[in-house]
Amino acid sequence: MTFLSITNATKSFGTNTVVKGFDLSVQKGEFVSFLGPSGCGKTTVLRMIAGFERPTSGQIRIDGQDVTGLAPNKRRIGMVFQAYALFPNLNVFGNIAFGLKIAGMAKAETEARVEEMLKLIGLDHLAARYPYEMSGGQQQRVALARALAPKPQVLLLDEPLSALDAKIRVSLREEIRDIQRKLGITTVFVTHDQEEAMSISDRIVVMNGGRADQIGTPAEIYNRPRTRFVAGFVGSLNVMKAKVADVAQRRVAIGGTNIALDWPIRAVGPDGMLSLALRPEALSLTPGDGRDAAFDGVVTHLNFMGSVIRIRLDVAGEPVMFDVFNSPNLTLPTTGQRISAHFASKDIVELSD
Amino acid sequence: MKKPFPIVPTIIALIAASYFIVPLIATFYFSLKMTRGTLSFAAYASVFQSKEFLATLGYSTLASLAAIVMGAVIIVPTAYWVRLKLPRLRPLVEFISLLPLIVPGVVLVFGYIRLFGSNSWLPMTNSDQGTNLLLVFGYVIMSMPYMFRAVDNGMAAIDIATLTEAAESLGASRLRTISLVIFPNVRAAIIAGSFLTFSISLGEFVLPSLLNRPAFGPYLVQLGQDRAYEPAALAIMSFAFTWGCMVLMQAFATKKPGQRWLPRLSRKI
Repeated sequence: MTFLSITNATKSFGTNTVVKGFDLSVQKGEFVSFLGPSGCGKTTVLRMIAGFERPTSGQIRIDGQDVTGLAPNKRRIGMVFQAYALFPNLNVFGNIAFGLKIAGMAKAETEARVEEMLKLIGLDHLAARYPYEMSGGQQQRVALARALAPKPQVLLLDEPLSALDAKIRVSLREEIRDIQRKLGITTVFVTHDQEEAMSISDRIVVMNGGRADQIGTPAEIYNRPRTRFVAGFVGSLNVMKAKVADVAQRRVAIGGTNIALDWPIRAVGPDGMLSLALRPEALSLTPGDGRDAAFDGVVTHLNFMGSVIRIRLDVAGEPVMFDVFNSPNLTLPTTGQRISAHFASKDIVELSD
Repeated sequence: MKKPFPIVPTIIALIAASYFIVPLIATFYFSLKMTRGTLSFAAYASVFQSKEFLATLGYSTLASLAAIVMGAVIIVPTAYWVRLKLPRLRPLVEFISLLPLIVPGVVLVFGYIRLFGSNSWLPMTNSDQGTNLLLVFGYVIMSMPYMFRAVDNGMAAIDIATLTEAAESLGASRLRTISLVIFPNVRAAIIAGSFLTFSISLGEFVLPSLLNRPAFGPYLVQLGQDRAYEPAALAIMSFAFTWGCMVLMQAFATKKPGQRWLPRLSRKI
């Protein structure tokens, strides 16, 4: 059942429309990430859910209630900010207790709830510390506890890991996901980091130019990108122009290699060309495992990246890259050598613009 | 390589310091010479024994405190709102806050008398309470450049927009956000502005003199005309008071929440 729904939401600042006809339905307990580059409108949508921005048009409903015009302090939303936003005048206990105090909770009950939250984030020994006495990771965990303490309907996370160093970022995102699962709270997470979004989300909304380009599970987004933007933004991708040879037979030619596609051809351009994409890890130096097609090309570059080696080929003028796992027994081709890169035609995806 | 001792800058600094310190020492020395042939604090004792001194000081202290409270109540929400919702208006508000430095006190008080005099629509000068209130208004206006700047700088040091949103997302109304989050976090700035307001309004002469109020400023001037040693003693006391205010301002401004005022004397073993 839909718990949070955004229907045809548009937001304009003067003549600049930053969110255009945005639709989304989030199930109760679901973890949804908004992923996109700076200025794509992801934070604006989050702020509209929080009530800090009012949509120019459209509707936002939480648990069946229309909250579009409701003030932020009436929405029962928990929010975690990129800059932590802990109250500098209050210690950890005071910060976590803030929302409970506002709600008029009794002292004993407040203390018990704060203790519970402190245990949840593993900082029960730091209750008396002030924000300036803690690391960024600790501050963000306190901010998470503060947001969760009043039992909000929806948890909103606005790039909460961006200000942290890489190691803390990974451990904290796992912690956030564990806590979210434990509490079963509906969560919307904003990030520009695709790895972050992939690793913790039930679904990802890839945003571009104020619109949702694609909404899907991490696997769908990665393996079946629907648009050229999604394909380019999420992971590395070979984007290739293919000449349609036979629509009925689903045959196309890429750099002189004829391939039978696994799906019916739809979006043929006026020049008879198709935009296709293939992940580098879908290609291999060896056939088998369902790899029914191959590109023949000349090795132009070999990039050693530790556990993975990226090979770049020139397939009759079309650049194609692919990755092979490093192993002691691996015999690598040399630059200038002609080789075959094998792949399964079902792994080729069609892109729209 | 060892740097040579900066002789010229040191001499310049000493000359500049002596420009302030020598008259101060001379005034202090003069204030101790009330009793012929010996150095004593007789002038200071004489000042403290004066009933007028205590009455005027008490009056001005009360008026200054009222001005601080009124100033804080007006300026903190204004500075907050301008920073949060009307950032484009900030240059205008800053300019308005600086006007008291351009408009002389005498103009302000004659304006008051014209607007709130006995023949006006609101004859505040007809009663002592009304005139006292006018004096406090005047103090608020005169200290506005200092109070506004101190509070505005305090707000610049914290991310008030995000703190406001954080408080609102936790259910706080705008009023509770201001009272529970903004006020406590600009407390050091308010205190700094308060000390400045206090030191300006305590010895202010023009406003209370033209409004005929029994304040400390007119008393100081009167004393200067009537006595020799006591004004010198008062000048030294005012100087010490101002420095005391500066030290307190510094202490409040640099103290972090939860930090002790003094270091622990003993440590648990």
